[in-house]
Amino acid sequence: MLRKLKRSKIKIITILSSLFLALFILVLITCVVTHTTLPALITSVLSEEIQFAIKLSLATAVVSTVMCIGISIPAAYALARYDFFGKSVVNTILDAPLALPPLVAGVGLLILFGTTSFGKSLSDAGLVFVFTPLGIIIAQFFVNVPFMFRILRGTFQSINPRYEYVAETLGCTEAQAFWRVTLPMSKNGLLAGSIITWSKGIGEFGAALMVAGATRMKTETLPISLFLNMSCGELDLAIAAATILIIISLISLFVFERYGGFTRVF
Amino acid sequence: MIRIENLSKDLGEFFLRDVSLEINDGEYFMVLGPTGAGKTILLETIAGIYRADSGRIFLDEQDITDIPPRERNIGMVYQDYTLFPFLTVEENIGFGLKSRKVTKRKIKRRVDELANLMGVSHLLHRYPGTLSGGEQQRIAIARALIMEPKVLLLDEPLSALDTQTAERLRQELKNVHSIMNTTIIHVTHSFEEAFLLGSRMAVMDKGEIVQVGTPNEVFRKPESEFAAEFLGVGNLFQGESRVDNDIAGIDVDGINIVSATLKPGSVHVSIRPEDILVSTKQIVSSARNSFKGKITSILDAGTILKIAVDVGIDVPFVVAITKQSFDEMNLKTGGEVYITFKASAVHVF
Repeated sequence: MLRKLKRSKIKIITILSSLFLALFILVLITCVVTHTTLPALITSVLSEEIQFAIKLSLATAVVSTVMCIGISIPAAYALARYDFFGKSVVNTILDAPLALPPLVAGVGLLILFGTTSFGKSLSDAGLVFVFTPLGIIIAQFFVNVPFMFRILRGTFQSINPRYEYVAETLGCTEAQAFWRVTLPMSKNGLLAGSIITWSKGIGEFGAALMVAGATRMKTETLPISLFLNMSCGELDLAIAAATILIIISLISLFVFERYGGFTRVF
Repeated sequence: MIRIENLSKDLGEFFLRDVSLEINDGEYFMVLGPTGAGKTILLETIAGIYRADSGRIFLDEQDITDIPPRERNIGMVYQDYTLFPFLTVEENIGFGLKSRKVTKRKIKRRVDELANLMGVSHLLHRYPGTLSGGEQQRIAIARALIMEPKVLLLDEPLSALDTQTAERLRQELKNVHSIMNTTIIHVTHSFEEAFLLGSRMAVMDKGEIVQVGTPNEVFRKPESEFAAEFLGVGNLFQGESRVDNDIAGIDVDGINIVSATLKPGSVHVSIRPEDILVSTKQIVSSARNSFKGKITSILDAGTILKIAVDVGIDVPFVVAITKQSFDEMNLKTGGEVYITFKASAVHVF
């Protein structure tokens, strides 16, 4: 085995490259989590500030994920099932936020909600997005909705419409056929989409920073907390936030690979 | 009764053109045609999945052209089963009654009845993904029948199954039809299926109905070149088969045709025109069937000629020969010839 390995240079080089890459990632993660001592980490995690950041991150990510699901289910269904004028343009536009740098998205959102009459009328109605947790939610929603949309579109495309046809001959309206047949058949895609949208929401920084700002104990999500504490030298708190982000990412990745690894995101 | 008047539907790749049909109550009606003839879209338009571009559909004199599928009471079974994978067999069969808000107890009772009829009672708690094709198709049929549909549409229900399973299920479809007396429209590209199941049949090509009649009429007198070509007609007989010593002798109107297919009883026999040898003198060969006859007609079809040879039975044999052999043999209408074919060329069903 070893001798065979020696003979193929290309094999050695490629395998070494993969090992190097894996090692690099491992070292990086280890560096973060071992930077402080365990008691210091626990104290930081239990501090009021980090507790606030955890709660705010979880809550905003849940709300933005629910919003992504709410709009993506009908939108993805339409693009998977129907032909209509401008379909390919709509498809392209819906993918655009993927390529847009989050900071740019954030500037756009800030201008839309902060300066236009649309934004003003919303804020008059009590929906203030600029420098509030609502801004974090809308930023997460805008940046992450393409992920949910693409996964669901792929999922719906993979389901033969004949299932709905049969359901309709078995007494269902179109809506019931969707609810009783297509949606349950989309379970894996929906789960995968939710996990990826949620975990990306937790980590969202650039766009949220632009719209909601970085105000301690107000718009302080885990990434914002990491940024704030890093910039003013509170290393223990920064590491605590980073460690939690790492744990959340790893768990999400595991669940995603387990239940939704089949779905193509890009 | 279901009456279709000048139905047209264009889906681009597949289409229907001016289709008119009348199917009687309790009839087992076959639609035969090649892939892409528009058979599936015909069924789907009858079921109400597509809106007709023009034309009307009547079910028991009620115009159903514009009503949604759920109100038509027409059942649909596809070739690929389309069982709901996340539901158990029991939930699949009961799916339609749940839509109708029937009580759980009654659903259970009806599911048991239908599962029993289709022979899938032992599978009720399984999921479709773990079942064989034959089992899945039985469940799909049970799921449609539980609604007591006025018409049951079957879209190539046997095509995805292996020969043995298909044969068994074909027999069961026949039984189910005689028990339930549901009107059935069954789409297929298999000439055997059409012949064995249908009380009447339609031949379809390029979105149009080219012929309607009993299987016998259609096979014996194809009205278009397409039908003749597609059915591969000629030489279809009915007879009584007796199996003896690993060989079957089939009595057809007094002549004895020998076949290698050992199926006793009343059978259909077909021999492809290309499989028959024609000679002016009797020849000695290993072929088990040889008959003397008279040429009654000669049909010129380009490089291949079809000649009809009367051997003293109801219908003449059709033999296909090349133009070259025809010229060399100097064959004429009224001339005496011998036809010879092997026992293995005799297709029995």
